[in-house]
Formats: sequence, structure tokens, C-alpha cells
Amino acid sequence: MSRAVAGWIALCLISLVPTVASAQDMALSGVLLDGEGWQLVSQGHKFTEGPAVDAEGRVYFTDVPESKIFRVEPDGKVTLFDDKTANTNGLMFGPDGLLYGCRNGDKQIVAYNAQGEYTVVAEGVQSNDLVVAGNGSIWCTDPPGERVWHISGDASRTKKVVAEGIRPNGVILTPDQGTLVVTESQEPVLWTFRVERDGSLSHKERYYGPVQLPSRADRPGSDGMTVDSIGRLYVATRAGLQMFDPTGRLGGAIAKPHPGPLSNVCFGGPQLDTLYVTAGDKVYRRKVQAKGVRYQGR
Amino acid sequence: MTRARHWLLARLGTLALLAGLGWGTVHSAAAADDYKLEGDSLVQEGVPQGTVTKLQWKESKVFPGTERDWWLYVPKQYDGSKPAAVMIFQDGGSYVDPNGQFRTTVVFDNLIHKKQMPVTIGIFLNPGQIPASEPDQKPRSNRSFEYDTLSDQYARFLLEEILPEVSQTYKLSERPEHRAIGGISSGGICAFTAAWERPDAFSKVLSHVGSFTNIRGGHVYPSVIRKTERKPIRVFLQEGSNDLDNLHGNWPLANQEMAAALKFSKYDYRFEYGDGGHNGKHGGALMPESLRWLWRETAK
Repeated sequence: MSRAVAGWIALCLISLVPTVASAQDMALSGVLLDGEGWQLVSQGHKFTEGPAVDAEGRVYFTDVPESKIFRVEPDGKVTLFDDKTANTNGLMFGPDGLLYGCRNGDKQIVAYNAQGEYTVVAEGVQSNDLVVAGNGSIWCTDPPGERVWHISGDASRTKKVVAEGIRPNGVILTPDQGTLVVTESQEPVLWTFRVERDGSLSHKERYYGPVQLPSRADRPGSDGMTVDSIGRLYVATRAGLQMFDPTGRLGGAIAKPHPGPLSNVCFGGPQLDTLYVTAGDKVYRRKVQAKGVRYQGR
Repeated sequence: MTRARHWLLARLGTLALLAGLGWGTVHSAAAADDYKLEGDSLVQEGVPQGTVTKLQWKESKVFPGTERDWWLYVPKQYDGSKPAAVMIFQDGGSYVDPNGQFRTTVVFDNLIHKKQMPVTIGIFLNPGQIPASEPDQKPRSNRSFEYDTLSDQYARFLLEEILPEVSQTYKLSERPEHRAIGGISSGGICAFTAAWERPDAFSKVLSHVGSFTNIRGGHVYPSVIRKTERKPIRVFLQEGSNDLDNLHGNWPLANQEMAAALKFSKYDYRFEYGDGGHNGKHGGALMPESLRWLWRETAK
């Protein structure tokens, strides 16, 4: 078959796609792989959180009450990275290759190097989860303070409150870093803001929703999030790992690997094609069609 | 290339050709969907034509940060001596397009001239979007949020922002029987939601291939309609047997459920079920008849 004929057939097939409602329909079938289920990665912990992927695809996670950080190699081997974390919770790698963490026991945001030594990035900040942009700028959630903090990416590391009046939990950026999404565990929607150049947030909206509720519950327990390369958003909840399309519509809930809630999620592995979830005392992973995102500098 | 593969590609090509010409689809039985615009959908000689003005709305407080295009149609017969009826359309750019599938303003001209609908000001609103703060970032599309969400937010946007804006220049009737709202797909369920939330403000609904499916929970309407005291809303539903069947639901079944629920609760409704797909062909062809039916007692 000539290239021209192939192109013509492709054109005819494209013309079949309805334009109004289904152009962005994104079902779970576009994410999951037949025959691939959740695999247990690590167990015996107290409460796992903060999955974060490094440049090689290794995934780090925290055990918050035990004040530990573990590292998972692509082959599944788990090693201890730090055992004095002061209840560090959320983690994420920055564009500088450092591992940023919510060291909440000391009210600090810290950055680890590969040897496991940390420096303090910001002090006097309560934090649960964070996201690090391509320019090094950080947003972190402060649930008891009912606010979201921004810490500038420049050397001044200036901190300021950029959202108040919600009890924020997870936080993530869309792949283009133009939109910030924040979960609130009792809300059936995810809060969405426009990111301004100085890190402030505007145009708050109940954009992603409704979040599916577990049976016999009135709150979804929305927690940590991640995004994939085409802008789908994944949020850890009590009703599974829920996927939303870029226009805020639920695409579906991926079944949980265990009966309890999920606390957080990230893409890991050298190809960023494996979902890692923290789930109570365990961590699981699952290979998927979707691919994760590394935020590029702006 | 193997013989089998060559045969398969040849068949694919034929299938694509047939589908591209509208003779079938790759996933379902062949559908006619051959609706044509005629009569009052076409410009008629001697019929006065209203004016259409393109506008922008960037000041929304109900949907903060959104910007949108909109169009205002004022019939030739409007003279300000008495309040005009109002009809609002979602995805306004499609409905106002003089060469599109609906040609709503042409139908308005013809029916107002024949006194088959009242002197009506048409408001054609596109969905909002929130521009990105940087040029290489994507704007936030607000269409699904505005149209698919089950709440009074969109009705408030109309009542607190758009209608007061139009009222600064034109005298608009505030009687609900003089207020209609319509749309296609998510814009169709949006029209129903506006009337459902505020029947005191909107009493006539026109839905084309309406998304009464679970995009953001709209699939509950049939059961809610059955278990809620009847509201003073008149509904024209158009749907086609080859409409969407996807993760959000099955559009033909959902619209049949809506029609059955409206019948059960003794609504003033009409259901036109054709063989079209997810487009405005059938709804466009029906536009004159649907407007005559919706406006019937208020025409004179």
C-alpha cells in the first residue's frame, strides 16, 4: 500500500470521529493493560506516603510515623534511604535531581542529595504534600493551617501563602504547569487554580468532579495525585485510583489493591510507565499504557 | 505484503469511504441520518432579517476568569414598545452560524414574520475558557464544567450577568413562558439543568442529542424527574438511534429514559427519536417545528 493511500484511509477514519462530545473521551481502557494487575512492592510499614520518582525511574516513598524513606529499584528491591526523617510525608524530585520532602516534624521543607544528606529549603512551614515545578518553585499543602504555601524557585526561597480557606491535602501541576490542582479529602471535587508567574494562584474552581464515593461513605478521601503525558489526572481515594480527563470529567476508578484507602500515587520505572500507589502499610505497582511526566523548566 | 493483508486493507478502505460519505459507521448498523434543511430553515424572500452582533464577555464573577464569545440576535420586529421574549443557546457559535446545521436566526426571522413565535431576542453563548497565564500553556476549557455540572451555577450566570447586560439595551420579558433555552449534547443537558434549577426564569427547553449521561452525574435526571413534584417546564427532546455509546453512558437509552420519565410525571414534552448520530443534522432539520411547538401559545 502506498503512503498516499494509507494517508487517505487515515483521513477518512479521522473524519468519523464525532466532534462535539467524544473528542476527548478517555476511558480506563486507554490506561490499563490486559493481564497487568497490582503487584506488591513493599509491606510491613505503618503508613506509607509520598511516592516520588528519580531520573533513573527508582521510586522513593515514606513511612510517615516511622520517620523513614525507602527506595524501590526497578527490579523491585527495596532499601532504606533515611531513618530519621521527622515524620516526612510528601516527596518529589526537583529539576536539580534533589529529593524534596515535607519534613513536617520540624516544620521544614528539605532537599536530599543522592547520599541521603539534606539541606533546609524553607522553615516554619507545616506541610503534608508538595509539588516541585520545572523552575524549582514549590507549592505545598498545610491542612491544619487551611492554606497552600508557595516557595520561590530562586535562591531567596521566599515563602508566601497562595490559597486559604480550604483544608488541602494532595497537590499537583498539569503537564504544562499552568494549572495547580489541590485535593480536600471531604470534598467530592478537586480544587483547580491558574498558576501565575510569581507562583500565586487565581481563578479557583471546583473543576474536577464529581469524585466517586465509596459505598456507605459521604467523603471520597481524596489525597495524593499524579498526571500523565496527555493530561489525565490520577487521584488516590477511598474508592480507588480515580482518573480524570483534562476537561475535569471522571474517566473511571482503577480498583484498589487492598481494602483500605490509598494515600498517594506516582509514575515510576525507567519508562515512567508504572503506577506506584501507597496504601496503608503497603506499596503496590502496576504497569499501564499511560506515561508519567517530568516538569520541564520554564 | 501478504494477500490477506492486502484484502483487509482494501476492505478497510471501502469501509472508510462509505463511512466518510455518511453511509454508515464502523461500529454500528448503517444509519440514514440524511436530514435536510428546508422551508423555514432557509432564507425566504421578503422576510425581514434581524441583526446579529458578535460580543465578548470577560467580566464573569459566577465563572471567575472565563472569557467567551457571544452573539446577540435582535429581530427586525423588535421596537422596544413591549418586552421581547428571550431564547438562549449554549455553544452559541454553532447555533448562530448562518451556514451551520441549525441556522437558528434564519428560523427566527421566518417564524417571527409568520407570527409562529413571539418577537424573540436570541442570545448565543459559547462556553467559557480561562486563558493561561503563559503563551505556551493551555487555557482551561470550562465547557464541561459549565454545561455538565448539576447545579444552579449556569442559571445564575445567565440571570446575574448575561440577561442584565442585554437588559441594559433591550426590554426583555421576565415571564418564564417568554424564556427558552436550548443546546446540543452537553449544552442540551445544560439547558434542562437551567430550567430545572430555575423554572421561575426558564420554562421552555430545547435539547438536541442531550447528554443525559454520567459525564458529571446527569444520568440521574430520569429518576429525579419521577420522584420530584412536576415543575412548570416544557421540553422538546431530539435524539438519534446512532448516537454515542461510551464510558459516560448510552445517549439513545438516556434520552428514551428522559422521555419516559417526563411522560410518567405528566410533563408537557415532545420526543423526536430519529436515526442520526451525535450531530445537529436532525435537530437542525427540526428547528422550525420545535420552535413552533415550544412557543405555540406565546406566538402572537
